[in-house]
Amino acid sequence: MEYDKILENLLGRDDYLVVGHSVVRTDALEKALGRARFTADYIPKGTAVVKVVRSSQPHARIKVDVKAALGVPGVLAVLTAADVPGHNQIGYALPDQPFLNGEKVHYIGDPIALVCAEKEYAAAEAVDAVEVEYDPLPASFTLDAALQPDAEPIHEGGNVAVTTRIRKGDAERGFSAAEVEVEDTYETPYQEHMYLEPEAAYAVPEGAGKVTVVGTMQSPFLVREKVAHVLGWNLSQVRIIQALTGGAFGGKDDMGPLVCAKAALAAVKLGRPAALVFDRDESVAYTPKRFPARIRYRSGADGEGRITAVEVDITVDCGAYANRAPFWLWRMTAHAAGPYEVENASVDGRAVYTNKVFGGSFRGFGDVAIHFAAESQVDRLAEELGMDPVEFRLRNVLRPGSRTTCDQLLDHSVGMEECLRGAAEAAGWKRGRELGRKGSRVRGVGVGCAYHGISTSRSTPDWSAASLILNQDGSFTYRTGICELGQGSPVGHAKIVAEIIGAPLSSIRIEVPDTDSTPNAKPTHGSRGLMLGGTAAADAALKLRQRMISVAAEMLGCPEADVDLREGRAFNRQDPSEEVSFAELAEELYVRGVSPAAYGFYTSPRRFYDPETGLGVNYSVYTFAASVVEVEVDTETGQVDVVKVWPAMDVGRAIDPLMIEGQIHGAVSQGIGFTLMERLVVEDGLVLNPNFKDYVVPSALDTPEVAETIIVEEPYRHSAFGAKGVGEPAIISIVPAIANAIHNATGLRFNTLPITAERLYAALRRRKP
Amino acid sequence: MRITFELNGKRVECEARPNKTLLDLLRADLGLTSVKKGCEQGECGACTVLLDGAPVNSCLVLAPQVEGRAVTTLDGLVDDPLMAALRKAFMEDGAIQCGFCIPGMLLSAYALLRENPRPTEEEVKTAIEGNICRCTGYIKIIEAIMDAAERIQNERP
Amino acid sequence: MRPIPSFSLHRPKTLSEALELLQALEDARPIAGGTDLLVLLRDGAVSAKHLIDLGGVHELQYIREENDEIRIGAATTHAQLLRSELIAEKTPLLHEAAASIGSVQIRNRGTLGGNLCNASPAADTAPPLLALNAEAAVASTGGTRIIPLGDLFAGPKMNSLRPGELLTEIRFPTPPAGSGTSFQKLGRRRGLTLAVINVAVYLCLEGGVCREARIALGAVAATPIRMPAAEEMLEGRQLSGELIEAAASACRDQVRPIDDIRASAEYRREMAYVLTRRALMDAWERARRDTL
Repeated sequence: MEYDKILENLLGRDDYLVVGHSVVRTDALEKALGRARFTADYIPKGTAVVKVVRSSQPHARIKVDVKAALGVPGVLAVLTAADVPGHNQIGYALPDQPFLNGEKVHYIGDPIALVCAEKEYAAAEAVDAVEVEYDPLPASFTLDAALQPDAEPIHEGGNVAVTTRIRKGDAERGFSAAEVEVEDTYETPYQEHMYLEPEAAYAVPEGAGKVTVVGTMQSPFLVREKVAHVLGWNLSQVRIIQALTGGAFGGKDDMGPLVCAKAALAAVKLGRPAALVFDRDESVAYTPKRFPARIRYRSGADGEGRITAVEVDITVDCGAYANRAPFWLWRMTAHAAGPYEVENASVDGRAVYTNKVFGGSFRGFGDVAIHFAAESQVDRLAEELGMDPVEFRLRNVLRPGSRTTCDQLLDHSVGMEECLRGAAEAAGWKRGRELGRKGSRVRGVGVGCAYHGISTSRSTPDWSAASLILNQDGSFTYRTGICELGQGSPVGHAKIVAEIIGAPLSSIRIEVPDTDSTPNAKPTHGSRGLMLGGTAAADAALKLRQRMISVAAEMLGCPEADVDLREGRAFNRQDPSEEVSFAELAEELYVRGVSPAAYGFYTSPRRFYDPETGLGVNYSVYTFAASVVEVEVDTETGQVDVVKVWPAMDVGRAIDPLMIEGQIHGAVSQGIGFTLMERLVVEDGLVLNPNFKDYVVPSALDTPEVAETIIVEEPYRHSAFGAKGVGEPAIISIVPAIANAIHNATGLRFNTLPITAERLYAALRRRKP
Repeated sequence: MRITFELNGKRVECEARPNKTLLDLLRADLGLTSVKKGCEQGECGACTVLLDGAPVNSCLVLAPQVEGRAVTTLDGLVDDPLMAALRKAFMEDGAIQCGFCIPGMLLSAYALLRENPRPTEEEVKTAIEGNICRCTGYIKIIEAIMDAAERIQNERP
Repeated sequence: MRPIPSFSLHRPKTLSEALELLQALEDARPIAGGTDLLVLLRDGAVSAKHLIDLGGVHELQYIREENDEIRIGAATTHAQLLRSELIAEKTPLLHEAAASIGSVQIRNRGTLGGNLCNASPAADTAPPLLALNAEAAVASTGGTRIIPLGDLFAGPKMNSLRPGELLTEIRFPTPPAGSGTSFQKLGRRRGLTLAVINVAVYLCLEGGVCREARIALGAVAATPIRMPAAEEMLEGRQLSGELIEAAASACRDQVRPIDDIRASAEYRREMAYVLTRRALMDAWERARRDTL
């Protein structure tokens, strides 16, 4: 099935009615009226308040005594590991993460117990009253400390959680063919999501063996699995509903199961509704964030500007638990060379435990860190050769027919060159870019390129499902497990459905993900929501379309091939005045017993890889992006303003240009934050700035001018209309572009982030003769 | 303590302990969940309401402090023509993603345009400086506010 | 972060009522805009059994000029300061500082008195008022005393008010013609931010000679401070770029900043030079324009 050719092959037309045209999002009105409800908005008075008792030590054996806490007036229960009826294990990839820690704690903030009380004040008092006896163990706060041979193991099996490798070609031979070589070590820090809506979950028990949980999440079925696991119940006994979520960026994919399981356990034990809503400081200090990383990068290029070899050593700082580390590390490893053709690559990676808040999903995954390193290296190689950075990149970019670092053949849908040329041209990129200088202010331009595999990593089979029902009045109910987090993917699905089924977008109601009735679309992450989820939507729509056409043909008395569906009616192409409304058509389906419901399913093409060499097809397809950034540096204070950004992205097919731009703008903002100002200050495992005041994210006054996004369309054959994922690649190319622009402006290169005013100032001073 | 104040144009009487914030009073006691809780430290602006027409962080106002004053939330401006213009612009310009910052953002924008119908882009940015958005990067929000201002100006006779 | 602890809230209608309550109640604190206090209460950094809400004491909200002196009621909000034409015209220094505080939402609630009594070394209204030679009126049931503003600051987040005392007014001489001022603030982003360092400068020129120079810096010592050594370098002299640089260098040598999570002492010291230099150049320019 050539999903990208749905329009031409299956709909028999060459103009899009809905796809490609920006629309007003179907959920915009309720949000603009303030009537959209998020998890905390559902919690009625009288719901038991759940608060988490957390470790105040980074590494210790513990003994917990809840007697005093139970005595606090208004306390209903205090739950510990001993109260977990199912399995006390909630680790994502590795079984290293107890749901509640009863014996040992691994970071400051590690959950030990749950206090359930009538009111918040009682809960807070009871949290203080829980007695925890700590028997401290030596703690490792840095990678080097954790990797010492005598370091205290944080988990059984030592402090290395997982390793990866790639061996392609012969790196040493590649280096010997290089005319220039650059080697350096790059370090990237934590980044906190700072979604405006803190984590929350509201659980309601029913009868003796069912619980419903409404919460902040990105994967309702993952949440169901984990909640059932903790309760020791069947999947069918747990109902998970994703409430509209106020920003997620990956963080709620990790936290969804954790908060929902806590609320569920409390509700089941109490036999009454219970809810858990995080404080901002709790959210910042104790929940997973972007994994810090250290990357030693060596790369070489020949006299023609062709990269001949890369040798990359990656160490990811897991913090207390591995969580997503294997996938994070794998992405970094697979994308280590950047979006370039490199014949010889040697990549080694490891994820290491430390006694700090653990890492987890965040937009772009490890690709942000690895591209910061790779794109800095590329700029430096170009500089060594006296070559323009854009020119150098053009000599190396992946093209159709190229093979990636993992030796995956990219036979189509490779828009890297167009993105790079487009962004450079739009920005008026010149060879030997002139530095504008006005007093103490100096300007510079930089470029960053990126690619990002769309789908789950490592050839894990990726699939998605959706359901579409034609209601008797001609309206539609669409169900997807892909969550609305703000990114608009479900609206994208509805557009795909609208395009295929010929219904007005307003007649398609997107239902809230509810594991009792929604098909499992798999997670909303990895920018797969639109691509995989949307293709499942297309499959459902195509199936239903066929049935509608079949019945309509009989109603209209014409061949099926002559029936078209458009704007909520079925009509005869030969004589368009012969038509039936979808309401009439629907009634007919129902009367005849023709199923008005379609289950759509889509599975990505089979992939494989060899763990020994790391080679193989590890992602279905890649989205490509390029950004050119202009910065202005105040050389007296070190402050950097991002003046303008020119973004470009190969999206496969733009389902909605306005939403694509929205994603890019948001990614630009987060990229600016990560590169210039966001700094989680952790001292001996304690987060010192768990708030908006001191963890600084961009405000409206920190907004650059962003040129219209150059949308490149290189359709992917195996997705609806050829669409690829958009949400993550935008941040990946921005970060190195800013760093490269700062270099262009000042001649200074920074290998660690963030490049704060203070650091830039200090570096400028050190440089003065 | 007994509190009497005007809420969205209607007189309201309620009971609240002195240490209850206006935010909690509105959300928990009066059911106005359009007012959001993002940080409780006055840094994110998600809890913004209008107090006698001026934007404030309701998380930093004690409930009894609104005695005799007028509080306006987004719910009270549904039919207001200026708010309607802002709403339309936000929706059409793609300024809304997750929506959590939006009630506060709209109220700040509303207060700005009431006082300054022809703001510059810089003035718009300053007006929403205290409303953090992590989804949109602010660009379409600023555009929407400027568009709404222009539209309202053009409609003037 | 905890829920806000319990307290009794009192809502006086007059200043004398407020003073009576402050005198009579034990463990009582005034609250005005609450933008600092409520955060401190939640953090457990501060406690109070009684809060005296000054929001209803309208006699503490005023901005007026009397006998060449500008007098501002302590419960005047930053927003009110910003809207005041008197302040915008006669003391742009204070106007600019007020504009840099927090956000619209914070400025609509936060008061001048609150900003000063919170006594953060980084308080944005402090350097301007110090540079304007402001005095503070401190009242209690026993009467009112006037103190130089600098005496209000005892240490980081510590004011020198005794139990039962309330800051009621800030006053300073209206800057005369021929004066120029400047406020500079360095943050960690362009928007809503606590000052990493802030500087206020007041220059009074007469025939090109600097008759009076006042330089005040924030976030570089335990309290906001004046820079007398640097000021002396300028007074009675013809101003020039070099002289200004020398004065700014003197500031760098005099300040005693600390390392904290916002910035290092080293950076603050260096920025003391940069911002003071910029403020002096700016104030000089404005003073020259004013005399034309």
